[in-house]
Amino acid sequence: MSDAAMDRPDTAAVRMVAVVRFFWTPIVLALFGLAAVVIVWASGDGVLARTITDALIRTVLVIGLYIFIGNSGVLAFGHIAFMLIGGYAAAWFTMSPFKKSFALDLPPILANNEFPLFPSAVVAGLLPALVAAIVGIPIMRLSGIAASIATFAVLAIFYTVYSNWDSWTFGASTLVGIPIYVNMWIALAWAVFAMFVAYIYQQTKFGLALRATREDPIAARAAGINIPVQRLIAFVVSAFFMGIAGVLQAHFLGSLIVNGFWLGITFLSLAMLIIGGQRSLTGAVVGVTMVSTIVELLRQVEAGVEVAGVIFELPGGFQELGLAVLMIVILIYRPAGIMGGLEVPWPFGGNRRVLAGGFTIVHAERTPASE
Amino acid sequence: MAQTALQSGVANTPDDTLEAFDISVHFEGLAAIDNVTIAMKNKEVFGLIGPNGAGKTTLVNVLTGFQKPTQGRVVLGGKDITGWAPHKLGRGGLARTFQAVRLFRDLPVVENLEVAAVGTGLGRREASKRALDILKWMNFEQKAFDQADTLPYGEERRVGIGRALAMSPRFLLLDEPAAGLSDAECDELMGVISRIPDRFECGVLLIEHNMRVIMGVCHRIHVIDSGKTIAEGTPDEIQANPEVIRAYLGSKSEESRA
Repeated sequence: MSDAAMDRPDTAAVRMVAVVRFFWTPIVLALFGLAAVVIVWASGDGVLARTITDALIRTVLVIGLYIFIGNSGVLAFGHIAFMLIGGYAAAWFTMSPFKKSFALDLPPILANNEFPLFPSAVVAGLLPALVAAIVGIPIMRLSGIAASIATFAVLAIFYTVYSNWDSWTFGASTLVGIPIYVNMWIALAWAVFAMFVAYIYQQTKFGLALRATREDPIAARAAGINIPVQRLIAFVVSAFFMGIAGVLQAHFLGSLIVNGFWLGITFLSLAMLIIGGQRSLTGAVVGVTMVSTIVELLRQVEAGVEVAGVIFELPGGFQELGLAVLMIVILIYRPAGIMGGLEVPWPFGGNRRVLAGGFTIVHAERTPASE
Repeated sequence: MAQTALQSGVANTPDDTLEAFDISVHFEGLAAIDNVTIAMKNKEVFGLIGPNGAGKTTLVNVLTGFQKPTQGRVVLGGKDITGWAPHKLGRGGLARTFQAVRLFRDLPVVENLEVAAVGTGLGRREASKRALDILKWMNFEQKAFDQADTLPYGEERRVGIGRALAMSPRFLLLDEPAAGLSDAECDELMGVISRIPDRFECGVLLIEHNMRVIMGVCHRIHVIDSGKTIAEGTPDEIQANPEVIRAYLGSKSEESRA
């Protein structure tokens, strides 16, 4: 950080260490993701490649959830609405006019064009962010359980509208023919981008102010913080990444069904966040990794595993059961999740225990108060 | 350097005033405060005392926007601020502490202060600097990076005051800062409070039950009982005032009768 050099001259090397230390959490998380992808790529296992792509898309999704829930402390049940909006927008922008003509009845500008993939993805992420900015204005004024239920109502509204909006969504049927281009590298790139944005956001004054409202809303107001405004900022950023997760999923599977954006994925994504620890970015990523791994193992055992000549097989439904039991156990023994609000610790001395907002810890060790 | 950082934001002028005219607050017909008028100046330590339930905290809630008065006006530096939202008043120069302290428990001490600096419009870097400067001034920088919920009670209260100071307030409202403190901690608190007006160029309104603290640091004292003003004056005048003595001694017997 060049700003850290404010008080005393730094050499390039010292500054470099400060930058690495400041971004230590997303750097480690990104390298972890990269290592996983490289190993799978080297192994050439196609099934595993799909599994890890799926996990990386979930990473974008859960980081999206984390940006709002983790920093605001408001448990939101309706974020999958933004994934739904993003996914279908991606289909509208990128399907070929020929394929659209079978299922959809869109206005000419969408019906007769297919737009480039990357700009389409960005716009399809911005659309749910815009929706969040609008629906958030009334909802962010609510608090506690009222806010949670109101966000769920938003999901219910969009779910119902999209289920019945035949001309734009093919109703409750599966919409196919979306270009498939998302592989594990592309999913990794978006996941890393989400990690850095989430981390930078939580280090800004906006992230700090929002965490203060989570800890004590009354004291936060007395400290000059406008709670609805701070929540709305996080809500919009959060909705963008939820939308991007929908876009990635659409271009990974090549198909969309409205029913896929309902309670199943809502529960899974919240379970990932809560198991990992909703108050840190590391917690969000750990949650996705752990839950994805366990679900995948259970899925394989359900399909039958041969150990020393004996075939072990579990009855169907064990994935869901396993996840539910895991969540209960975690909630009992570690209510704050596996990470309990901590980020990746800095291993090279100084103040090692880095909380979700390590800005001043990093900053102050290099710039003593007054000199 | 530190001084300029602390003074950025709202300008504190020597003729700054915080006034409340004819304030009444009624809760379902009952008057918690009845026609109270107070006025305090920049760099003044103004005591607000009275028996339990006299309406002191309600008055602070009115001044800081947490309670709308049924009647009356609050004026800061000549500007009518009655009915403003708390966060707006915070930015406008009124900082307060709470009886229940209300720290941001999961954040480090320094970030508790930073939040307040950020809340008044500072960027993260200036906020960080201001927070560390204030902690140093309060001889508390060694615990800057401890999580707030690991602090003992007396230190929590100190951080609460530091957090309010991090707003560079024009007026600082302290709601029973000495509650539960040991004698030694009270002495230290008195030292801190009496040094605040010059260091931060602000006025201090102090609610307190501890008479040693009140008499030791206040320039003027305002006494309310059952929501009504019964006296105002210097510490010497208040100590000699028969109404005040009666209110304090009398309230005990009233309580036991009730």
